[in-house]
Amino acid sequence: MTAQAGYEDLPHTAGVLTLVGDMVGGVFASLREVRDATARCVAPRGRRTVTADLAVLRPLLWGRLTGGGVAALIAGIGFIAAPGLLADAPWYLEWWQENPGGDPVQLLRDLDPSSSAFYDYTHWEWYSGPLSGAERTICGPYVDYLCTDEYSLTMSVPVVTGGVFAGVAAADVLVRRFEGAVLPALREIPAPAFLVNSGGRVVASNTARWVAGDLCRDAGSFAVRPVRDLPLSLVTEK
Amino acid sequence: MRWGGDTGMVVNAVGLAVFSPVDSTARVAAVVRRLADAIAVGLLADGEQLPSEADLAARLGVSTVTLREALMALRQQGMVETRRGRGGGSFVRVPAEIDPAVRLRTYAVDELRDLGDHYGAIAGAAARLAAQRSLPSDVAPLWRSIRETAAVMRPHGGASPETTGRLRRLDGRFHIEVAAASQSARLTQEEIRLQADIGPLLWLSHEARCGHDETAAQHHAIARAIEDGDGDQARALAERHVLDAIEHLIELRLGLQE
Repeated sequence: MTAQAGYEDLPHTAGVLTLVGDMVGGVFASLREVRDATARCVAPRGRRTVTADLAVLRPLLWGRLTGGGVAALIAGIGFIAAPGLLADAPWYLEWWQENPGGDPVQLLRDLDPSSSAFYDYTHWEWYSGPLSGAERTICGPYVDYLCTDEYSLTMSVPVVTGGVFAGVAAADVLVRRFEGAVLPALREIPAPAFLVNSGGRVVASNTARWVAGDLCRDAGSFAVRPVRDLPLSLVTEK
Repeated sequence: MRWGGDTGMVVNAVGLAVFSPVDSTARVAAVVRRLADAIAVGLLADGEQLPSEADLAARLGVSTVTLREALMALRQQGMVETRRGRGGGSFVRVPAEIDPAVRLRTYAVDELRDLGDHYGAIAGAAARLAAQRSLPSDVAPLWRSIRETAAVMRPHGGASPETTGRLRRLDGRFHIEVAAASQSARLTQEEIRLQADIGPLLWLSHEARCGHDETAAQHHAIARAIEDGDGDQARALAERHVLDAIEHLIELRLGLQE
């Protein structure tokens, strides 16, 4: 149930909604920059795009991985090409990860599913969501055994050029880091409160009764407040 | 020595172990283990180029000296090949399928039983948590692996040498996906490690003992229990799946001549 307009809500819920909206909105703002730069890079120009063309994205990707603010949340960011987009690699990620010891490092480059049972990335929600038209996808929390090896969120937006889907711009946010950023505000709420994704999976919580990874299957017995127009909600017990 | 005798020495020994510097050979072994596991279960593919030594060392959070030692060990095991010069670098080599009897001989019966105890606990706990915590989007990969396995089998009517490797890797992927559906990164990492250790032997045991259809039926039943949210059933099925195969491997091991 959505909290009624004019209803006297629990204290500090508005602060959590603003904070989470700004944080996640900031990640999506970075992704829109990556999306726009990628769309320019892969736009039709007389020849097909090759992997080397995507190198122009690197200063932008590095900038969104290093420094404070939203960058402190993001553990990995990049562009995942639609299979067949590039002339020289049917499957490709221009994907960079933070590196506490120095400059960001690139993830494995060539992911040909015929060489590994794990490499077809098109079935992951962070790819299939944008492909099916979702403007903003939050995949997870999920165990990302391919990339971060941690409990993670992956946020993604479609990259479209000339009306054709070219791939996705995406960013990884570790659940523990997301939790660290929202927990002080969540603790201010004087009642059990937690954030869930669109499937009802808990992302962060101020109570041990609901922790990241749990499923909140019965929305009817809770007060549910959407975080702006994002696929995230703040939930408290009624 | 008496029970509980000379406690001063025990305390001292513990103190030494805790505060002694972390052995650099332990770090090398950890890197070897991580890469060898990833290669064995197919998270890294045959022929794939590894990142440069500096990049890989940074990604793994170790020094380049440690990484070089680890790569040398992997070269000796035939899992990495390094080429010099233009287009050079380190490349993944998936070792040829080894003779199960040779592999089986490296385990004593009590080790097999212990591996079964460990793996049964991990697989059972992961399946139970997966049933409690799965959304339809978590179960979808399980059905996808089951469908892909069936599609590999169908045109051949049975496992040919070419399809055996692919079927085994799909089997490993199914079990790793069940573990990931538990939402536990640690259980998933442990599942990957155990798959690398004994996954191929367990799969061969299933195929030899009850054939492909029965193995597929067991996977189907595990996926169904997880989808239905039936944690007890999912755990019982996943444990049974491991323990039946281990029992068969122990029978085979007992029959091997020393």
